[in-house]
Amino acid sequence: MYNQPLEPAPTKESQYGVDPATVTMRGAELENMTSVPLGELIPDLPGVIYPSDKGLAAVRAETEAALESVDMSMITEGKTVNILASHHGFTFLGGFPYAEMLRTIKDVVSVRTQAKQVRLRAGLGMRFRETEEYIKTHGLDEYFEGKAIGIAPIDAGIPIETELGTLYGLKKAYDADFIIHAHNSDVREVHFHRQVDRAVKPFGMSYARCETRSTYHMNMGPRAANFVARAIFESPFVQEKFAFAAFMIMSPAGAITVDADNDLYAINDRTTVGGMKHYGKIISLFGAIDECIVILDFPCPVPYVFASGVIYANMVGANIDLFDLDNPLPPYTWYTETFYNEHGKPLIPEIPPVNPAIKAVVHNYAWIGYPAVFFAEHTPTIVVGAAQAELFNRDPMNLNYMKHALLADNLKAAMEFAYRTTGTDKVMIFDGASGGLNVSRSLADHLLKVAPEVNRRVGEDLMPKWLVQRDIDPGLLQQVA
Amino acid sequence: MKTVKVQAQVDQELCTGCRTCEKVCPVYAVELEKQDGQLKVNIYLDICVGCWNCEQRCPEHAIAMVPCEPFDIGTEVSDFDYAEIEALCKKARFHPKQLMCYCTATRAEEVAAAILAGAGSPDALVRATGVGSGCGIECNQTILRFLEAAGKSWQRKKGSYQWMGRTMTAWEVPQEIRTNFASFRFDSDEELFDRIVDAPVD
Repeated sequence: MYNQPLEPAPTKESQYGVDPATVTMRGAELENMTSVPLGELIPDLPGVIYPSDKGLAAVRAETEAALESVDMSMITEGKTVNILASHHGFTFLGGFPYAEMLRTIKDVVSVRTQAKQVRLRAGLGMRFRETEEYIKTHGLDEYFEGKAIGIAPIDAGIPIETELGTLYGLKKAYDADFIIHAHNSDVREVHFHRQVDRAVKPFGMSYARCETRSTYHMNMGPRAANFVARAIFESPFVQEKFAFAAFMIMSPAGAITVDADNDLYAINDRTTVGGMKHYGKIISLFGAIDECIVILDFPCPVPYVFASGVIYANMVGANIDLFDLDNPLPPYTWYTETFYNEHGKPLIPEIPPVNPAIKAVVHNYAWIGYPAVFFAEHTPTIVVGAAQAELFNRDPMNLNYMKHALLADNLKAAMEFAYRTTGTDKVMIFDGASGGLNVSRSLADHLLKVAPEVNRRVGEDLMPKWLVQRDIDPGLLQQVA
Repeated sequence: MKTVKVQAQVDQELCTGCRTCEKVCPVYAVELEKQDGQLKVNIYLDICVGCWNCEQRCPEHAIAMVPCEPFDIGTEVSDFDYAEIEALCKKARFHPKQLMCYCTATRAEEVAAAILAGAGSPDALVRATGVGSGCGIECNQTILRFLEAAGKSWQRKKGSYQWMGRTMTAWEVPQEIRTNFASFRFDSDEELFDRIVDAPVD
């Protein structure tokens, strides 16, 4: 007996995606698709506060409770405050819980400190109007009384003196007396940050100029790069402004709590451990898939589409242990991408290949605004719909994407071709469905069969190694939710 | 090499002359001048490389990226002595075949060739190769590292937000940091880079 597929995350009007009306069929509507509840794959996942029958009230209550123990005495009536946010937080669960956490932080800070100037500065990646879209969707501009803006890596910068020399932040991020770092804990870009200083990373990315981001992705190396954010955070300039941090704590099933602290490294340790505990098993389970066709079907750029809280970029690298710091290079990072020559040959033999279990990718719905040609170069890719192909052809970051991808008229035709050419009927859909995975029946059978051994291996063999590599007290494992 | 397929076009009715477009352009293709007493935007299409910085940051949504007659920007590597290209790449600590720009697929050898051809500033390198004309973010330091390795000195355009400065590389991390924060694997990552830089060119 197979479950019905879960409702995929809805398509979204955005300048970075095709008109939702052109997405006439979702992967979950295909024949032979089913869903696997996360609880059947990973029995020890904690309960979630969102989505739940309590709705956003649960997020507000958790945020208020977490902020109770936070010292805000440094913020007094006449001081200005920037709540620093990131686009990533708006991409899970429709952005509703993250937006509610931001609203609650504003309310609590305003009441407790009497500060009148509490602004929202929302950082972003490469789609420079993306957070503007989220601000509008969630009514945050009105909520912050006209003081909510998106900040882009090409906006006015400010030099910050650090242990790594001069790095560059965004002027608008730091144009207040105090900053509040409001983020989320899901492992997301574990291929980049390797779950090292996960909670600190936005100081080197969302709140940073392009010079700093390029330092992270080009200058320092795949693991050492994580020190860039720490260097900025520990600079006297930032320390003088830092008030506290508040994090929406995520698991593959949804938001599980809110954590807040004046000590960012305390949150960092908890999110590092929690991230490995909650996501280590599902990502390792992805690595235990022997073969599949992937369907991209979510309103985000190619590497960021979600399945059970895990982004596609993690599936691309799931053939190695992304949490194991003894592996210098994941199969996909921007460092790895630069280490192939123009013929697709690795410059040195130890470059790990893209996950060979991905036999084909059907790009039903995913956005532009992120250089994604690597994915089409390394895996057979079929794009659905001429409108989507045209969007990619005009994107300055994806001028070569369609040179490596085939075009199909519709999803069914794309899947027929994928089934025929790959010989597999295992299908995995990255569509943001909540609480489980939308997959084909054959892949559901496979996942349920291999999950117990993956759970055992992560808990008994891998987790102890991951903790030692990060100098983290194993006792924390019992303390995190 | 990049094929430019779209270029910026301004709606002068919506433009308020705030200069944001001028400040974010990586190649200084945008200037404002007074027309009938009001500041208006001039976009020099012979310079515009079709990134979307101005369109994305204009607060009035006054700029659109519109299709143009496609044209290529790039520097022919075979026009130059490859030994010189290799030497410059090595000095900048890149492999000649290493990808410099994810968006345009520009490789180190082409950036080196453009410098040998006379490009001596970040904006000139962008115009000569296309590097930095996609996302405009990630290859920022590759451009600045190459210019420094070639001994080129250049000035930021007054008022521009772009090209703030070169930052530290893996080879320059102080020993104290390497020792105190060993879990960041500084030495191992530097060794990885060295293996890349020293890999043979097929």
